[in-house]
Amino acid sequence: MVPENKRNFLRLGIFFLLTVWCFGFSFESLFPGSSLAAVSYPILKHAYGEVCHQIPAKTFLIGGKKLLVCARCTGIYLGALTISLLSLFFFKKLKLEVKLLYVSITPILIDVIFSSFNIYKYSKIIAFGTGLFFGSIVFVYILATIENIFIEKKFSE
Amino acid sequence: MNNKNFLPPLVCGFGAAVITTVPGVKSLGCCLIVPLAAILSLYLDHKINKTELPFRAKNAMILGLLTGIFAAVFASSFDILMTYIFHSNDFVQTLPQTEALVRHYKLGLLLNQTMGMMKQMSSDIQQTGFSLFYTVGIFFSNFIVNAIFGTLGGLLGITFINKRVQK
Repeated sequence: MVPENKRNFLRLGIFFLLTVWCFGFSFESLFPGSSLAAVSYPILKHAYGEVCHQIPAKTFLIGGKKLLVCARCTGIYLGALTISLLSLFFFKKLKLEVKLLYVSITPILIDVIFSSFNIYKYSKIIAFGTGLFFGSIVFVYILATIENIFIEKKFSE
Repeated sequence: MNNKNFLPPLVCGFGAAVITTVPGVKSLGCCLIVPLAAILSLYLDHKINKTELPFRAKNAMILGLLTGIFAAVFASSFDILMTYIFHSNDFVQTLPQTEALVRHYKLGLLLNQTMGMMKQMSSDIQQTGFSLFYTVGIFFSNFIVNAIFGTLGGLLGITFINKRVQK
């Protein structure tokens, strides 16, 4: 398989996995009333509870149902999913400065510190926005590393 | 890998497990706790074992994975231990809300079977402080989720650590 095809295949696989992950935490909201959503709810709630505090006040309600991760985590995962989708059509060569990674985490740190010390009231929108920004940037780094492992190295050897 | 190689992921995995267990603290780090532990594990490995830089991606992935696995083992152990001591946990406390929500769907037999199993787990925990189903479930989900997030942390950590070489 030529590197270009292999890269596209890898990106498609990652996009699929991220879509499944995002479907998981929004399953109940997307398919309200389905028996599968009802039965899988306790399992999914526990599984996502491992990576998120799931505080109801910090979680988005969609269609009257709470997502299984908080607003910030929703932002991180949706940011990664969006860039993953875009990477199927654009960004053929990934090269980013590490500074951008520090820049992307700064809003999250500021928001966490400010809202924890009540400098301003916690806002789901701000949390979502900071998560979205961080998720989009961090995904590019992770994708670049994965591609470096599975594609670039093999073809340079 | 010698024993010294296991030390950074062990320490960072333990730290991540403690943070995820302490109520309130988890809300600060959320899904970033295990990846951050994996990044720290890479850094400690470089400091303690004098690992040559640039870090190889394969090694970083293994260190991240190990951090995630250790975090899963410790977090599950803490959860099981606390459940055994207090005869209660988040699962038992939120079961009535979960039941109310699931009953809303009117699924008949399927619902009764699912709820029956969950109530049995809750009853075991309240009576003896231990449920085999709960223990297996918590180990399984912790292993999968933390292993994935640890590996991702390892991959992300390469960017940070290898940057030191370029400097």
